[in-house]
Amino acid sequence: MDTTSSFDNLHPLEIKVLTAFGAGPSGTVLTTEQLAAATALEPSQLSMAIEWLLAKQLLVVQSETITPVASLTPLGDTYFEQSSPVERILSAARDASSTGKRLTIPDLHAKEGLDPADVSKAVGRLKKEGALLIVQGGCLESTGRPSPSTEAMRAILQQLHDAPREMEQFPEPSRQLIQEHAVRRGSAKEPFRVEDRVARWYVLSPEGTAAVDYVATQATVDEVSQLSPELLKDGSWRRKRFRKYTISLRAPRVGIGKKHPYREFLDTVKTKLVSMGFQEMRGSLVETEFWNMDALFMPQFHPARDIHDVYFVKDPTHAAKIAEPFVSRVTKAHENGGATGSTGWRYAFDGERAKRLVLRSQGTAVSARTLAAAPEAPGKYFSIARCFRYDQVDATHATDFFQVEGIVLGEDINFRTLLGLLNLFAREVAQAKEVKFLPAYFPFTEPSVEMHVRHPRLGWMELGGAGLFRREVTLPLGVTVPVIAWGLGLDRMAMVALGIHDIRELFTDSLELIRTTRGIF
Amino acid sequence: MPTISIFKDDLESLLNSRRAGAVSIDQIEEWLMLVKGELKGHNAETGELRVELQDSNRPDLWCCEGIARQIRIKQQGKLRAYPFLSKQSKPTQRVIVGAGMERVRPYVAACTAKGYRVTQEGLAQLIQTQEKLADIFGHKRKTVSIGIYQLQKIAFPVTYELVKPDEARFTPLGMETVMTLSEILMVHPKGLEHGRILAGHSRLPILRDAKHQPLSFPPIINSREIGEVRVGDDELFVEVTGTDLAMVVLTLNIFAVNLADRGAMIEPVAVQYPHKTPLGRQVVTPQDLGKPRSIRIETIERALGQALGGKTVTQALKTYGYDVSAGKSAVKAKLPPYRQDLMHEMDVVEDVAMSCGYGSFAPEMPAQFTVGGLSRIEQTSDRARELMVGLGFQEIISNILGSPESYSTAMRLDGTGWGKMVEVDNAMAVTFSALRQWMLPSLLRVEAASNRAFYPHRLFEAGDVAIPDPAHELGSRTDTVLGAVLAHASAHFSEIHSCLDVLFYHLGQEYSLEPVQHPSFLEGRAGHIIVAGKPVGVIGEVHPEVLERWQISVPVVSFDVNLSQLTERA
Repeated sequence: MDTTSSFDNLHPLEIKVLTAFGAGPSGTVLTTEQLAAATALEPSQLSMAIEWLLAKQLLVVQSETITPVASLTPLGDTYFEQSSPVERILSAARDASSTGKRLTIPDLHAKEGLDPADVSKAVGRLKKEGALLIVQGGCLESTGRPSPSTEAMRAILQQLHDAPREMEQFPEPSRQLIQEHAVRRGSAKEPFRVEDRVARWYVLSPEGTAAVDYVATQATVDEVSQLSPELLKDGSWRRKRFRKYTISLRAPRVGIGKKHPYREFLDTVKTKLVSMGFQEMRGSLVETEFWNMDALFMPQFHPARDIHDVYFVKDPTHAAKIAEPFVSRVTKAHENGGATGSTGWRYAFDGERAKRLVLRSQGTAVSARTLAAAPEAPGKYFSIARCFRYDQVDATHATDFFQVEGIVLGEDINFRTLLGLLNLFAREVAQAKEVKFLPAYFPFTEPSVEMHVRHPRLGWMELGGAGLFRREVTLPLGVTVPVIAWGLGLDRMAMVALGIHDIRELFTDSLELIRTTRGIF
Repeated sequence: MPTISIFKDDLESLLNSRRAGAVSIDQIEEWLMLVKGELKGHNAETGELRVELQDSNRPDLWCCEGIARQIRIKQQGKLRAYPFLSKQSKPTQRVIVGAGMERVRPYVAACTAKGYRVTQEGLAQLIQTQEKLADIFGHKRKTVSIGIYQLQKIAFPVTYELVKPDEARFTPLGMETVMTLSEILMVHPKGLEHGRILAGHSRLPILRDAKHQPLSFPPIINSREIGEVRVGDDELFVEVTGTDLAMVVLTLNIFAVNLADRGAMIEPVAVQYPHKTPLGRQVVTPQDLGKPRSIRIETIERALGQALGGKTVTQALKTYGYDVSAGKSAVKAKLPPYRQDLMHEMDVVEDVAMSCGYGSFAPEMPAQFTVGGLSRIEQTSDRARELMVGLGFQEIISNILGSPESYSTAMRLDGTGWGKMVEVDNAMAVTFSALRQWMLPSLLRVEAASNRAFYPHRLFEAGDVAIPDPAHELGSRTDTVLGAVLAHASAHFSEIHSCLDVLFYHLGQEYSLEPVQHPSFLEGRAGHIIVAGKPVGVIGEVHPEVLERWQISVPVVSFDVNLSQLTERA
């Protein structure tokens, strides 16, 4: 490694410390205090610079001593300025003896406002020293004798109030007293604090000496860390040297604006669908059972319409009415097929039930609305709709999720063009070349297909379901051409691609996770 | 849709496979395409296969016999004959229906099965079929329930009639003691589970034989004496009761062909009603209720997009179990007796496609040209999202279904117009019981969970909310809303105001701010965003009490803009 280039990277603070050594003879040993005096740096700046130099091995610790130093805590200051609990008890007892009043321990709690724990500790000590007696009735009585420990404490308070002192400067009994009354874990309310003061002696390493010499040769050119408008304005940058940076360090993090990775994925799908000629449809989060299910020829007794599968709205419970002629035509389709060429489900259709408001449970509800709104034929439509399922929330079930669904209308729509469209989805959306078509069942399509694709990275997976809308769906809504209904199950693909194993993470509340998840589509 | 358990060697023996264990799992998976079945699991040790059957209109397939039958028809070229369904087959036994049944549970169908000794696997299938059909096809026994009995213990004719709840008693399955019908309803697990089907009836249905021995209390429970079938039994009596005659007969037909496929001799039973039914006063069951339907070959060809010809169509339907006769331009097709799912011509079309195999249809691109595009609101939303990203905001997405606590209470909005939301009647948990009516709570959700993520936090979400609106046909409007928050130690109003300002500039919208007293924001530091004289959103410094409720420890400033209203105004 080129040592001089690393010397160029020295921080001004480091240079100050190094120079402090350079000023003396070679082999100079300096303490932290001496360095502070020589550099005139703030303690925090100094310790930072020393840490850096130690890390670079330009400076070494020659020796180190650890000295316990005693000082007063804020409580100690109070004891010094006013009095300690022991002193207060002692003086209260002496007052009582001289006036002939009774003094009990509860009196000390109540009148003197002393802490019961402090009182019992102090009374114990005073009794042991013979300064206090406990007579009949639990009264405290002064013996008139002095309390040596109380006097010793007062002396220590006085000494430490002037300045912190090394423990060694105290005689053994005082040292013990200080330790007993020092703040430690479990007893924070004490007058003294004993801390280890670390004193270090530093010397320059051979590299350090070289650095000092190098710095000395460079000292003639003024070094700056930052180019400023002033330097540019008067051209004085020409006479400056710019401190070199350690550019191999990790960059500080920065928060950027960006799209959510899952939304970004859905945006890609959206763009692909538009590029394939699909028009976007929008729908309502709240729907009637009519548009959510009846119009899709799901009989009102269908198991998926149970109270345990759909969320019902509390207020209002029902829509005022469903538009005609759709409600009459759909009623007939269910009851006896009406004009659809079907036998129907052969049950009495409940018009009230049709008006019940639910949270949209399938994106196909949006397609049903579009079919009823005179769509274009040929026409292609899609929606990315939030849907709600009455499921226990777990790793594979979310309360609400996106469904990507749509329809294709046209005279040329048939089973083979349905497969052709699915092939196109497989290629465009999943970049899959291999596709399998399996028979499937949906209440509103016949024939119905399930599509499995081999994703280039993710392997075989179900990509979606589709079919030709039943005539019982299209004819009552006024559509006479064949219609493909399709839906893509993209959650799993998104999860695998994002490295997510729990569907709830798609809607995570962790900003850190959202910031660090890469969109890889 | 049901997932059932079948055993591989049982399937093989029903398929008349010569060598046991000869069939590969791949082969089974391919066969399952004929029945819309998906293999969910396979235990190589026990030979157990877990199969999900998708078609809710094909209850005949929810058992090993039914799956095997559909495959066998393909292999043998046609459905075998079931002689007990021919008009010549005369019933030897009777079931007599009593008066008043039409008000409680009107219909019953029954048959006997002799000569098949019940095996372990056969019994397991019998029980499973009984459960799945009654539960899913029979709507938890409401429309259809099934009972199977030891035939030799029954003295004919059997009566199906109403009794007072304390008039009849027997030992039900799963119990040791004799109980009255009302005791069964109050105590027996099945009585507790299904009793509501009979709620409101003062007299209850019972099946009894000529000696007055109870067979069962339909649709609740069988008698333990007669109604418990064991391995080794070789004479059975099967009955189905219910509310829909066609469904009752279909269910019995399925059991009859299942038992016949296992080698039983089926004998029909005549059911005598005191009143007229859609099938007359006397109904012989099993009975083929199918009617031939004429379908033009052109219809099938157009729907499938392939010129198949009458011969191929006929062959495809025959090898799928239909009774078919071909005409010049049409086929006459009748479903097999165990199916009733032909509602529309298109149902036949799908069966043709499945019989031929979906793989035999070459995919073809729809050729007609269409123009794609996004809705106006989506365009606005995308533009706004781009701008927010440019302003350095991170996009988030949230669930829309949440709690009234977070959408209103924690926002200090209870009892105000802003706190109204669409709530769910049958919530599973209060945490998922309301639709969000604005965006700020969704953003605070992330902010509250992210105090360890480095600051500043700049978040936005564009998405749907539901705003209660009595004037709307659905009682609420679904609007697209953009919400943004800024959170850091010195976040303040003018910082978020600058963001709003540049956003509206680039959306091409003139706006002004009007002070508003909104409980979620600090008074004097909140405003309505006014466009064309009407508010389209709110901006302000989030109230410290709100931050406390969310346990957020930095100042937050935010705006919510209703993009749908903004787009309408423009």
